[in-house]
Amino acid sequence: MLRSSLVASSSSICQVHLPACHSKSPNNSSYFRQMRDEAPTKMIWREDCSFSRKRRIELCPLKAGFWDSIRSGFLKNNNTQVVETPTSLLEDEEPLPQEIVLLERTQSDGVVEQIVFSSAGDVDLYDLQTLCDKVGWPRRPLSKVAASLKNSYLVATLHSITRLPDAEGTERKQLIGMGRATSDHAFNATIWDVLVDPSYQGQGLGKALVEQLIRALLQRDIGNITLFADSKVVDFYKNLGFEADPEGIKGMFWFPRF
Amino acid sequence: MQIHMSSFSLPTSTPKPKRKPFRPIIASSFSISDQDLQSRGFTQHRSSTDLDLDALNTVFARVGFPRRDLTRIRRALDHSSSLLWLSHSKPGEPVAFARATGDGVFNAVVWDVVVDPSFQGIGLGRAVMERIVADLRGMGIVNIALYAEPRVIGFYRPLGFAADPDGIKGMVFSKKNIINRTS
Repeated sequence: MLRSSLVASSSSICQVHLPACHSKSPNNSSYFRQMRDEAPTKMIWREDCSFSRKRRIELCPLKAGFWDSIRSGFLKNNNTQVVETPTSLLEDEEPLPQEIVLLERTQSDGVVEQIVFSSAGDVDLYDLQTLCDKVGWPRRPLSKVAASLKNSYLVATLHSITRLPDAEGTERKQLIGMGRATSDHAFNATIWDVLVDPSYQGQGLGKALVEQLIRALLQRDIGNITLFADSKVVDFYKNLGFEADPEGIKGMFWFPRF
Repeated sequence: MQIHMSSFSLPTSTPKPKRKPFRPIIASSFSISDQDLQSRGFTQHRSSTDLDLDALNTVFARVGFPRRDLTRIRRALDHSSSLLWLSHSKPGEPVAFARATGDGVFNAVVWDVVVDPSFQGIGLGRAVMERIVADLRGMGIVNIALYAEPRVIGFYRPLGFAADPDGIKGMVFSKKNIINRTS
């Protein structure tokens, strides 16, 4: 099932955890209102059953994430730059770039940090192990982890890339999130193992990660995107467009270890 | 086994499906044994090489599944970690079928479990499911999941499947759930 880990867990392999990316109550300060009004709106196409033609609908799937990140991460500095990302959910749009900069911020010491989403699946096994340790997941044999990634249809990552303001512009890249999907490459995909580094939680990054993962799957024409969610994260995924027990269809597990 | 210590990258192109290594299914306690199946005229198949995709589509339609594009079915079968089908008098025509996807080590999901209506009620669905589960367990996978329509939840329970264990919910992405969100 899906392990979505944003707080420390016990050793059970099936345990999943509270996401910290819930939309918070709107901030009414004029700074945030201005940022919100200036943010570009994103468009998707939706076939409306009651009309014969398609109708445009405005949608801002990443807005909550952006505002969360602004609220939590940027209050202390004025050099915030919110980087636009293409967020329309068209299925016939141009191929998505494999790397998307979700946000960029400059700290007071001049260090520039970018949070980058990638579907290239470039995962260092030891970085992933460190990340899993941070969220408290039990260690798994590296050879098996390597195989599970290799056999996944899509492996998505979040990296923090910091650039120092020195002469060489030294860069440091750190894995701060991951999610993967298995699939038959035609009809169905199942998302597993979504996790975000605890020190980066609460900024909407888990939400952005899953959203981009969904987009990448839709882009590849996978029509049925599924996952198994712990009760604590069901609402998190509902907010991302997932439905539990659609038409009464139940997720079942073979002799689960509980 | 050597593990790459440095950065691990996935190939950018979809890897071609390889010939699967032979994995004997340990038939410790199947409800219908391999001999029983054989004596009743059923042949077991674990690859889709001889499978008539159009006949499979017909069985899907007969049980109420949508018919699907044959190229996509081919692709789905090539990328399933495990599959099993039974034929009877007509070679290549499936009377029972099941397949599973997954990462080959930790998780698997079973899809498209079907028995042709004229062969239902004699235990073929159970036979196919027991063997698929045994095959997945033989790969070391213990996290085996599936999505069950309400009327077949009772079919999977005696096979060892439990619904919503510990409150875990099966969820499906629905494009119509993307609603107009205001800031």
